[in-house]
Amino acid sequence: MNGVVSYMKRDFTKWFRGRVAVISALIMPAAWLIFVGLALPVQFTGNYLDFITPGILVMTMLSAGLSGGALLMFDKILGFLNRFLALPTPRSSILVGKILFITGRGLIQTTIILVIALLIGATLLSPVQYGLTYFILFLFGVLISAFATTIALYLEDHDSYAAFNTMISMPLFFTSSALMPYSVMPSWLATIAHLNPLSYAIDAVRDVTAGGFPAGPVLVLLILTGAVLAICMHVFRKVTV
Amino acid sequence: MNAIETTDLTRYYGALCAVDHLTLSVNNEIFALLGPNGSGKTTTVLMLTTLLTPTEGSASVCGHDVMREGELVRKSLSYVPQDMAVDIKLTGRENVRFFADLYGVPHAADRVDEALAVMELTDRADDLIRTYSGGMRRRLELAQALVHEPSVLFLDEPTIGLDVAARKRIWEHIRALRKKGMTVFVTTHYMDEADQFCDRVGIISRGRIAALGTPAELKARLMKDVITVKVEGSFAPLEVDGIAFVGRNGDEVSFTAENGREALPLLADALGKSGCVVRSMSLREPTLDDVFLQAVGQQEEPQGFEYNKFRIMLRRRK
Ligand SMILES: Nc1ncnc2c1ncn2[C@@H]1O[C@H](COP(=O)(O)OP(=O)(O)OP(=O)(O)O)[C@@H](O)[C@H]1O
Ligand SMILES: [Mg+2]
Repeated sequence: MNGVVSYMKRDFTKWFRGRVAVISALIMPAAWLIFVGLALPVQFTGNYLDFITPGILVMTMLSAGLSGGALLMFDKILGFLNRFLALPTPRSSILVGKILFITGRGLIQTTIILVIALLIGATLLSPVQYGLTYFILFLFGVLISAFATTIALYLEDHDSYAAFNTMISMPLFFTSSALMPYSVMPSWLATIAHLNPLSYAIDAVRDVTAGGFPAGPVLVLLILTGAVLAICMHVFRKVTV
Repeated sequence: MNAIETTDLTRYYGALCAVDHLTLSVNNEIFALLGPNGSGKTTTVLMLTTLLTPTEGSASVCGHDVMREGELVRKSLSYVPQDMAVDIKLTGRENVRFFADLYGVPHAADRVDEALAVMELTDRADDLIRTYSGGMRRRLELAQALVHEPSVLFLDEPTIGLDVAARKRIWEHIRALRKKGMTVFVTTHYMDEADQFCDRVGIISRGRIAALGTPAELKARLMKDVITVKVEGSFAPLEVDGIAFVGRNGDEVSFTAENGREALPLLADALGKSGCVVRSMSLREPTLDDVFLQAVGQQEEPQGFEYNKFRIMLRRRK
């Protein structure tokens, strides 16, 4: 436990000291909110901003998680990982520390996006709804950051990690239910969207904002996150250079 | 129980044998693994610190097997890798504190102050590492490794890239640790450092131990004097009574003799007769370089990195 906190603290300290990075990660989702959420003329809903906000929140978490994998890549390239692996601290705490930092950072970023959405006209929700939203985003963040960090452990260098990141982030986003409901999707897209883990997080948040409790999607997300986490922990325990 | 014990430790990278049946025991001393680039020093250290799985053989640190009891092994050692890794966005104190917390040392704040003081970093402790020089960063890494008072310390090329004064200071610190009872396993390719500061030296070449002993013992295996001859043209090994061939490094050929002064003219004669042109001859006491040359044998050219070519290249640049 000690180790997890130390690893997480290190990443947070470094992050807060690099001011540019704190802002730059927010540009993309904010642009989506403003330029797509406000400007796109759509027929299926009267308030597209309210419809798209859950998608953008999950997208913020997705890109926070995927770019978070690069942290481990840098630790590896710069030789930190070797030092950490030679410590008596359980090796899995490297992974858990990264997951908590990346997810925590993602939650801070989604909060800023949420505030921007409110400022430009999204509907205010109840505290319980926000609590549930954060829970879902946290779960999704753990899933993505565990996956990204473990992938980074196996890729050769930062270039291949960057390639992996671009290769999966855009397709994941566009084949999810972020931008439109299943009912208006072409059927092939609807099929893919139903398989996309991103959709489960988005649908769950959307259910919450509509006043429901998304038992189904949350359960799927819980199982998926649990399984991925278990695999990644195992990989980290066994890792050698 | 020895601090470090290896039996036929072997590691292949694909078909390349990086470490070849290494058998060593190290205890309560400063032990230097001495060898040229690519000889397998880092690979050995990685296996001993449980970062790399041996292909064959076994090793133990403080009685714990590196493959089966990884966590216990890691509890008893500290490791400073060859490539420097300190967080430049953190201060010196934060960097050391981070490791203290990871090791879970009690009274962390005091231990951190102490470790910083030992490495003479107290007055810069709260500056960002960004503002540290290379030597200071290296000392900081040592401070990080020392917060938890390990029984075995692994240092992979601790003095690479440092100036003479900084190297000397690092070595003084290492000696001080040794006095406190720590076992220190260092790798280096600086012969003079191994000679001056280490208790025992293992010369490694292409993954094999070529010579093992205290610097004095190793040098005593050669005769009293070393004669170095700069030759031009072809050189064929020759036999002169009382003179032994040591090895060749570029255009320099070395011999040893019990009585160098008497051997000089004999050798000059013999070399002249064998048809090579002698440019200069010099007489000196043996160093580890000579031991190395003899142990590793006639290395036609220093492998991988050719100092002479490199020097010529530099000269052309000017
Ligand atoms: N990850 C790797 N994959 C393949 N070959 C490797 C790998 N790491 C090292 N080698 C090879 O193993 C051999 C020994 O390398 P090692 O790093 O142990 O040498 P070294 O003695 O530490 O050298 P140096 O003084 O340059 O640090 C070299 O020939 C090197 O090319
Ligand atoms: Mg090395």
